[in-house]
This record gives sequence, C-alpha cells and structure tokens, in this order.
Amino acid sequence: MRMTAGNLTFAFIVLGARLALATAAAPDVQLQMPNFDSLASNASDSVSITLDSGLLGIAAAFLDSSKPEDAAAKDLISGLKSIYVRNYTFDKDFTYPSADVDLLRKQLSAPVWQRLVGVRSGKKQANVDIYMSVNQNNVNGLVIIASEPREFTVVNIVGSIDLQKLRRLEGKFGIPKLQLEEKK
Amino acid sequence: MSNHLDDQLRNALRPVDPGEEFTQHVVQRLAHDKRRSRWSTPAGLQWLSAALAAAVVLGFLTAHAWQVRREQQGLEARKQLLEALRVTGEKLDLAYRVVNDEAHGTAGENSGA
Repeated sequence: MRMTAGNLTFAFIVLGARLALATAAAPDVQLQMPNFDSLASNASDSVSITLDSGLLGIAAAFLDSSKPEDAAAKDLISGLKSIYVRNYTFDKDFTYPSADVDLLRKQLSAPVWQRLVGVRSGKKQANVDIYMSVNQNNVNGLVIIASEPREFTVVNIVGSIDLQKLRRLEGKFGIPKLQLEEKK
Repeated sequence: MSNHLDDQLRNALRPVDPGEEFTQHVVQRLAHDKRRSRWSTPAGLQWLSAALAAAVVLGFLTAHAWQVRREQQGLEARKQLLEALRVTGEKLDLAYRVVNDEAHGTAGENSGA
C-alpha cells in the first residue's frame, strides 16, 4: 500500500486524537510537590522519599518474599508507578506556613480527587485528609496530608492501588483495620 | 673427453664474487625476517596472553563493581520503600485513631445525655 501525504496527515490526526483521549481518560495524579524549604529548615528530622517506577522495580527485586513484611510490600507495589513521601518532625510546636499546604490542596480538586477522610481533632490537634483518585472503578492515586503540632507529612502514591491489598497490610507497618467499602 | 668435462665443471663451479648489492639484499632480508618473527616467538605470545588476561580481569572487576553498585542501590530503594510504607501506615493509623476518638466521644456524650 502506498502512503500518500493525505493518508499520513489522517494517521497523525487519529494518533493525536487517541493520545488526547488517553490523557483525558487517565488524569495525572502525581502531585507537584512544593520544595518545603521553610519546613525543612525548621525541622529536627526530615524524610524525603521519591520512588519512581524504576526504583520501585529495583526495590521489588530486593524484597525477600519469605518475610511477611517484604511479601506484603511486594504485593502492594506491583501496580504502583511511584511513591512520594515528605515528612518533617519538629522539636517544638510549629506553625506551618499555609502557602505550601494550600499549593497542595489546590491540586486535590474534584472531579479527579475525592476526599475519603477529613478529620480534625481538637484533642490531639491533628488534621488528617485522605484523598483518592478513582478512574474506571480503579483507585489510581492516593494522597495523605497529616499535620500535627510537631509533625507534617504528605504522602502521594501513584498507580493502581488495590484496597484489598492495603487491607491485607493490617498489622504490618502499623496500618490499622480500615473500614473501606468493598466494591463488587 | 674426460679432461674437457672436468674443465667445464671447474669453470662452472668456480668461486664468483656476488657483489655488494647482493650482500645488502641478504642483510636487509634477514633484518626483515627477524622483525616479522617477533610476534610468533614465545615472548610475543606471552605479551598477548598477558594483555588478554588483563582484559579479562578488568572486565571481571567492572562487572563486580557494577553488581556491588546495583546491590547498594537496590538495598537503599528497599529501605526507602519500607520507610514510605511505614510512614503511610502511621498516618492511616493516626486518621483511624482520630475518627475512633471522635466517634467514642460522640457516643459518650449521647449516652450521658
């Protein structure tokens, strides 16, 4: 078959349309993390973890399936694309600059993100928000923002998250029994 | 007859000076052959073997260094993954406890009223 200029243009239009549809069908659920400089400079301890698909693959190769904790982690990360964790601990009560947190919250808007849990505890002075992104009945993104007087944490997990696997982590890594609805 | 044959033979086999040019050719040829046979001598083979062995050792060391680096990277990635899951679990636990506390507080207030 001979490819004419018209055919080629048509092929490019179809390819472009498919790419646009694919992009629209799978929204980007990776947060643009602020650099949190002000938090890092005041923190007594900070954890910054960035694991992309390549590093997750390498980590998976070094997990020992005979250990329950490793086996659970291996099972959980099988569908994940990346994990980002920022955690700052302070020696004394610290008022966070709201600008960085607001920058995060602005990205967590409907219809891509749904807030699953939003708790404000006056007694513990802890605020925890859990957001999920659901695409075609599959959870493909999770964000946790937790602020306590002496600790601030942001977790962003990108990829297919199996809630059943998350539930199976109960008792491992300190994950509690969650009252999550099972979709059948 | 016999004398004639003897004379002919003597004449044919008489010593003749080959000349300066011939001698130079022979000397040059000898020098060229010596150079060419340098690699085919046992000493040349030794050099070749040593170079080959050095290449094998270098290759082995490079592969070993790559393996060590990959193992370090893998162990570090594993450590970070477990730490990330620990922090995630900790924060899910915090959310769960706060929700529980609030629920118990509300229930207590309701039962007391």
